[in-house]
Amino acid sequence: MPRPILIFVRFVDRLNYGVGRFAMYLLYVLMAILLWSSMSKIIQAPAIWTLEMAQFMMVAYYILGGPYSMQLGSHVRMDLVYDALSDRRRLWWDAFTIFVLIFYLCVMLYGAVQSTAYSFGLKYYAVEISWLPFDIPWGKTGFMERNPSAWRPYLWPIKLVMVLGFFLMILQSLSFFFRDIAALRGVKI
Amino acid sequence: MPNEYIAILMFSTMMLLMMTGQRVFGVIGFVAVVASLALWGTGGESLGFSATIKLMKWYPLLTLPMFVFMGYVMSEARLADDLYRMFHVWMGPVPGGLAIGTILLMVLISAMNGLSVAGMAIGATIALPELLRRNYDKVMVTGVIQAGSSLGILIPPSVVLVLYAMIARQPVGQLWLAGLFPGLLMATLFIVYIWIRCRITPSLGPVLSEEERSQIPNAEKYRLLLAGALPLVIFFVMMFPFVKGYTSLVESSVIGAVATVIGAVWKGRFTRAVFETTTRMTLAISCMFMWIILAALSFGAVFDGLGAVKAIESFFVGDLGLGPWEILIMMQLSYLIMGMFLDDTAMLVIVAPLYVPLVGVLGFDLIWYGVLYTITCQIAYLTPPFGYNLFLMRAMAPKEITIIDIYKSITPFVLVMVLALVLVIVFPQVALWLPNYVYDK
Repeated sequence: MPRPILIFVRFVDRLNYGVGRFAMYLLYVLMAILLWSSMSKIIQAPAIWTLEMAQFMMVAYYILGGPYSMQLGSHVRMDLVYDALSDRRRLWWDAFTIFVLIFYLCVMLYGAVQSTAYSFGLKYYAVEISWLPFDIPWGKTGFMERNPSAWRPYLWPIKLVMVLGFFLMILQSLSFFFRDIAALRGVKI
Repeated sequence: MPNEYIAILMFSTMMLLMMTGQRVFGVIGFVAVVASLALWGTGGESLGFSATIKLMKWYPLLTLPMFVFMGYVMSEARLADDLYRMFHVWMGPVPGGLAIGTILLMVLISAMNGLSVAGMAIGATIALPELLRRNYDKVMVTGVIQAGSSLGILIPPSVVLVLYAMIARQPVGQLWLAGLFPGLLMATLFIVYIWIRCRITPSLGPVLSEEERSQIPNAEKYRLLLAGALPLVIFFVMMFPFVKGYTSLVESSVIGAVATVIGAVWKGRFTRAVFETTTRMTLAISCMFMWIILAALSFGAVFDGLGAVKAIESFFVGDLGLGPWEILIMMQLSYLIMGMFLDDTAMLVIVAPLYVPLVGVLGFDLIWYGVLYTITCQIAYLTPPFGYNLFLMRAMAPKEITIIDIYKSITPFVLVMVLALVLVIVFPQVALWLPNYVYDK
């Protein structure tokens, strides 16, 4: 395999391992937030931020943990046919069908980027000016998106996390693709 | 192309792609985003992403990692060992007693857990080797563990009922209570079945020998009985404040998780290795479920856009001209059949929004239907070729148990579950009495 690909695969695997290990411990942060929430109810001073903070934490937990969970091989596959295949054929199938996954993730990433831009108040729509051959994009909202609740948190941090998460998922899928190709060529990465 | 054909095309494409063995969430998500792009063009691309926001707002789903975590703490810290020993000692003299004990063990584990994963892990690591060593029939034992662990989603707390509650907009508390008696009923039916089977063919589940029984002193017997108290304590610490309305559902699940950890620490079994494995496995299982639910939500949104709810309603009521009960049975049957071939969690998220409005229109109680739905889901978890429990069993079972054994093992238990389903349909009070009593409707 070409050297850049080897470096890419090793880098992505280690990066996602690191990010995943970090995300793994968010579970305890989540628990702490919810415990705090129960406590604050007991002392009759319910905190307003816990509910949304817990939601954000959960999203970060499973989105950032996604690539690592793929590394752990925890995602269900329908193994009725798959199990009966020879190793080589399985690699071939995987090398093709991984693009199904990548396509889905790319659409998700695109949606996430759009939504993040919106949360920064950057939704552009095209303004048509008759004497110009092209349309000019124009800032539309101009305000930072906030959650409609008592606490009114800004939404851009969690959306950025999602963008990052989907991006990392795509990288991880590509890494799997290269691994399959390498294995087909008889190279061990 | 009429919308019905688009829907059928989507389903069949999903089936075909799943056959390739690609990760289920990727396949479902792919079909969903391609369909939405093809149907709606620009703007269709944001449909997939909007599911993440929807999922974020599904606050009760935060219980999912908590219950997964509790389950793994229990199985990794081997808290269930004492429990198993207890049933072992007390049920030994009965024909098929250890298998019956395993079902009872599963009931207790289910009371602390919202999924079948933990029951499966405990069953496969603790009960299965022990039962095989005592010459229990391997086919029956495999069935016992699978059927028993599936109780996890019916006996409260239950993650499946949480999902249903969000889709049907029904109170989780009532749904959970409604699941309790049907779960116990089903467990009783399992036990009766095992007992009768082992009476007829004693070789399936030999009685514990006299000398082995006499080796265990009475004091030990009573000490072990105390082990049974731990899960009940955890169950009440978790459920009581929730049912009373002191804490919210999610907060209760965290209290339950913390209580389980305290239990493990108290027993001196919460080691570094246990901490590491539980944390990692919780992430792995939670991610698996969350990504599938995420993809299934997009898929469901496309269906929604196609007007599938109206189409199904007019199909059942108009074209087939069925009465309410016939429709109900048809829906359960169709769900069972789809559940065989498609991923069960995804089916729940995709199909429930289609059926639930119709059930409401027909005038059935949605709490009661939630229980029916969960039982159907349980059966779907067990039935080949695609069953989540089958998947787990294959991964966890020792080599001597083949896929054929696993497939064969579930048949009688599925029939028993269908019987339980019929009983709950005929006698709705089994499900509805407790929630009505507690919430005083």
